[in-house]
Formats: sequence, structure tokens, C-alpha cells
Amino acid sequence: MSKDHNAQKTCWNCPALELRGHVDFRACGQSMRKFMTEGQAMAECKRRPELGLFDPASLTFEECPEWEEGPYGYQLRDMRVLILGIDGYLGWTLALWLGSLGFRVAGVDNFNRRRWVAEEGSHSVVPIAPMEERLRAAKEVLGIEISFREFDILDNEKLRQFIQEFQPEAIVHYAECPSAPYSMVDFQHAAYVQHNNVIGTLGLLFAMRDLAPEASLIKLGTMGEYGTPLTGRPIFEGIFPADAVLQWDGREWSLGGELTPRDPVSFYHVSKVQDTFNVYESCKYWWLRSYDVMQGVIYGVHTEQVAADPRLRTRFDVDEWFGTVINRFVAQAVVGIPLTIYGSGGQTRGFLALRDAMQCMTRLILSPPEPGQYDVVNQISGVYRVRELAETVARIAADEFGLEVEIQRLENPRVEADEHPYEVVYEKLPQQLGFEPQVTLEEEVYQMLKLLIQPSIRSRIEAIRQVILPKTRWSGLHKEMDVIERYKVRPRRVVGLGAEGGGEDDPER
Amino acid sequence: MILNADNFEKEVLKSSLPVLVDFWASWCPPCKMVEPVVAELERELAGRVKVGKLNVDQNPGIAGRYHIQGVPAFVLFVGGKEVARRVGAQSKTQLRRFLEECLGSSRGSGER
Ligand SMILES: NC(=O)c1ccc[n+]([C@@H]2O[C@H](COP(=O)([O-])OP(=O)(O)OC[C@H]3O[C@@H](n4cnc5c(N)ncnc54)[C@H](O)[C@@H]3O)[C@@H](O)[C@H]2O)c1
Repeated sequence: MSKDHNAQKTCWNCPALELRGHVDFRACGQSMRKFMTEGQAMAECKRRPELGLFDPASLTFEECPEWEEGPYGYQLRDMRVLILGIDGYLGWTLALWLGSLGFRVAGVDNFNRRRWVAEEGSHSVVPIAPMEERLRAAKEVLGIEISFREFDILDNEKLRQFIQEFQPEAIVHYAECPSAPYSMVDFQHAAYVQHNNVIGTLGLLFAMRDLAPEASLIKLGTMGEYGTPLTGRPIFEGIFPADAVLQWDGREWSLGGELTPRDPVSFYHVSKVQDTFNVYESCKYWWLRSYDVMQGVIYGVHTEQVAADPRLRTRFDVDEWFGTVINRFVAQAVVGIPLTIYGSGGQTRGFLALRDAMQCMTRLILSPPEPGQYDVVNQISGVYRVRELAETVARIAADEFGLEVEIQRLENPRVEADEHPYEVVYEKLPQQLGFEPQVTLEEEVYQMLKLLIQPSIRSRIEAIRQVILPKTRWSGLHKEMDVIERYKVRPRRVVGLGAEGGGEDDPER
Repeated sequence: MILNADNFEKEVLKSSLPVLVDFWASWCPPCKMVEPVVAELERELAGRVKVGKLNVDQNPGIAGRYHIQGVPAFVLFVGGKEVARRVGAQSKTQLRRFLEECLGSSRGSGER
């Protein structure tokens, strides 16, 4: 896998750098104007004080002994990464992943997610251990030491204390409420989600300004921030390229560098858009550096680390509020609930497997933006229609596991287009950061089915049957959706994973 | 070409060809987004116009000397003197037009 994406980055990108001298002007083409002064931007290295004052552009990662070659590029030795939301689906997986790569990992969580899921009468269908047990198992099984603190990140004092203590070189911010339907339940839920997400992020930005301005912030946004423009224009990576021009009144301007329009699809997504602007502004005002990650829908249960011991498993939710689409389909297939698609099922979205998401995050952490740089990546590995996904899951479940699977179309509880064009630009991760997807949809669906079909997990899915089908409507009504159509998927062998046979030559293709 | 305090005099002020200098900063999204456009023009105009990039944070002295107030700033030098500038993101067509207008008289044959 490509390792050299960050070899030529310089101290300018490195979180160990402390800038000195004339760095306090800001005069972006789109913002304020100010005269620049004479002088030289100089820097000191927090890790190598013996360098004294030096020119930060003069030393590359490849040349610096603090950066060593690793599987995903040059890696800052014992790099300190703080994961906010470390108890979550992605946070826990990333903690173990980074830990086993030799990063020093610390994390914060207040177990909000465990409470939200319980509020609905649901649970993670893959059982997860309490945090103390998780930490102990990480140490025992993988030899990873994680510093964990339990608190609400809205408690700014505690957050500051911990940042001060740990001195993170990168901060991964997952600690938000990630559910669109949860934010649409009623006013209280909408206000809660927006407050938790927006104010949590805002407090973090101020804390970074004061205590960790050189750390890079990897902030999780979502592809849902963009919506699905019906003109079919490309969904750029957050920022317009220079050749995108605005023509009006016989004149023409480049839109290069301006944020592209956002069209969020729920009050949860609105919170993410507000975050985007808060992060963007902080980079502009204070020289913070951030990747705003427009992440697609994640699916999967598998990384080597979480599979190493039952106590290390990450959560896996399939309820109507917190389950994401492919994960839900797999659970439905396992317990014989028809896979539910909304409306025509033509909704097209970007997706990414759990393990690939971890690779992306690692690459982003290892390639910090430059001081003051706000950058956006569209983090997906492929684009699928929901209907296609249901059919793929149904086929693998039928062919490989002998399950009888039906698909049912429900009236759409959401306000969204069922059929729409969708052209996503997702070039930075593969082209500039060396990301190479390692997992195919079919393989991961197979892995998920294999785990979920075990009797102990199957019965945990059975136990929450009543919260799997959607009841939360964007209109505010709370009732079950009408079924528009139901059909069976005819088995055909497409994947041939594990089970005998597997016919590329199947006549029904 | 990457410009800095060490090579600015030789590559820009003493250049026999006109030089387009892109004053930019890492924190400036428009600067980042014009990068590929500037790189393409550099290739297409090779032999007629030289193109250089100067990071204003790494070289504040030069940026100050030319009163760079906002970036990206595209400053065209002919015979060591500034002849024109454009500030803010530019599409490739706009940048090319800017250069052609400024260098109109010296435009090579066959182009256009
Ligand atoms: N899973 C996906 O498909 C997906 C897709 C796109 C974006 N994202 C984003 O990625 C991030 C992580 O997603 P996830 O699926 O792991 O969700 P998750 O709910 O499992 O993880 C979030 C964690 O943050 C914690 N948290 C929330 N608010 C907190 C607070 N105020 N203080 C302390 N801890 C708090 C929760 O307890 C939870 O453990 C979220 O921001 C989400 O919006 C996820």
C-alpha cells in the first residue's frame, strides 16, 4: 500500500512545530486585507529543542528522525492522538487500530450513545463490554494502553484539563449524536442533538485555540451535509475548484476556494453543517488546522483488533434510530424481517467499510494540514443505490447462508428524493493520501452475516424486533409506515465466498 | 517553480522572460484551489512566461515588499518590474486572459 503520500511534507505540517515570528497576518482572497510585514517565519520543534530556531520548510518528514516509516506512510513516533467519542462504533475501533500501530491513544466519552440506544429500548446486537473491561482487554490481548476519561465534552473545564494533560498532536472528534431520525423525533430531541453537537465542537475549538493550536483536528462531518443536488452537478470535496465559475449579468467570477453549497437532510445534518462553518472560521481566525471529513455511511463489524476477543468488539446497532442501512439489512436478513427500503429505494449514497474507514483516518492523521488550513475530504469508497444494497444483502444471505429473504418497499418516512442524480468527487484520499480500499461490499456483508447469524447474537436481534422498523417520520407523526410492495429475491450466486460453488457463469445474472 | 528569498532576485527580477508570481498561503482555500490551474498554465506557457509560487508566510519579507494585501495574488513581472496584478481566485480562462492582455504585444505567433 502506498506509503509515500506524506514523505515530502515538511515541519510546516508537523504538530511538533511551534511557530515563532511573523505569522499573525491573515489576508485570504475571500477575507480581510492587511499589510504584510517584513521578517521571517521561524519555528522551534517541541520534540527536538536542539534544533533551535529554524526554517520550517527546510526539513521533510522523510528526513526527520521523529517520523518513521509505517504501513500507512511516515508516522510520528508515539504520536499522541485524542479520540473524542472513544466508546462509540468508530471511536472504539479506531482506538484499537491506532494503538496497535504504535500511536499513543487517549479518549473521552460520557456513554451518551449507550443511553440513547437504551432510551429506545434497544441494545447493541453485538454485545459490548463496559469501558473498564474494554481497557483491560486491550491491555491483555493487544498490549495497548489507552488513557480514558469519562466526561461530557460540553464540560469545557474538564476538556481543557485533559487536553492540557495529554497534549494531543491530533484530535479525532467523533463525539456527537449521529442519528438523523433521533433529531427528528420532536423539538426536545432536535434541540438536544444540535446543542450536543454544535456546542461540543465549539468548545473544543476554543480549547484548541488556547491549548493545542498545532494539533490537527480530524472532525467528522457527513456526506449528508451536501444533500443531493437535483441538477446533477458534481458534489465537490467541500470547496469549489478554481475552474468552477459563477456567470451572471455578462460577467464571470471564479468560485475557487469558496465552500460549496450545503443542503442538509435532517436537523442532525444541520448540526454538522453548523460545525463545518465553526471549524472553517476557527482555521481562519486562529490558524487551527483541520480535515472536515464528509464521511459516507459506514458498514461492517470487522477489524483484526475488534475480532481478537469478545470483550474488544465494537457496538453494532440496527434499530431505527441508530442503525445504518447496510448493517440494518444484514440484521433483518438474519431474523427474517423483510429488508426495508424507503419509497422506490433509488436513494444513492456514498459508503465505506469499517476497516477502510480506519485506514482513511490513519492517513489523515499522518498527513496533517498546514497551519490555518481548513480542508475537506469526501470519505467514501463507492456509491450505491439503497435498493441495490438490499438486493446484494438478500442474495448473499440466500446463497451463502440459505436464508429466505424478502424486500419490502415502505412509504418514505423522510423528506428526500427517492430518485436523483448523484455524482460525488472523492479524489483526495486515494490520489493525495494513498488510500486504497481493502474491503469489498460483498466480503464485508458476508463477514457480518457470519457473525450475526450466531445464535447468541441472533437472539439479541430478536429481542429488539419491535424497534427495527421505522416509526419516526420527518412530518412529526409517529406511526408505522405503510407497505407499498413486497418481493422475494431470487437466489443467484454472485460472490462465492466460503460456500461451495459460486458461479460467475450463472444464467440468471 | 518554488520561489523564496534566496532565488527571487535571480529567477524573477533578473529573468529575461516575463514571470507570473503566485503569492499564496497554506491557510487560504482559494490559493489551494488555484494550484492545479497555475500548474497547467505553467506547462502550457513554457518558454513564453515563467511561473513561480511564493509562500507569503515562509517569505514575509518579499510579500511585504510587494504590498501583498490579499492572497492569492498573481503579480506579473516584466524586466524585473511589476506590470500588473490580480487578487483572488481565478479560473484558468481568466488567468490566461489576464496574461494575454498584459503581454499582448509580445504574444508569440500561432497561439490563440
Ligand atoms: N457511523 C456512520 O455511518 C457515520 C457516517 C458519517 C459520519 N459519522 C460520524 O462519525 C462520528 C462517530 O460515529 P459513530 O457511528 O461512531 O457514532 P457513536 O454514537 O457510536 O459514537 C459517538 C460517541 O461519542 C459519544 N458522545 C456523544 N456526545 C458526547 C458528549 N457530549 N461528550 C462525550 N461523549 C459524547 C457517544 O457516547 C458515542 O460513544 C459521529 O460524529 C457521526 O456523526 C458516522
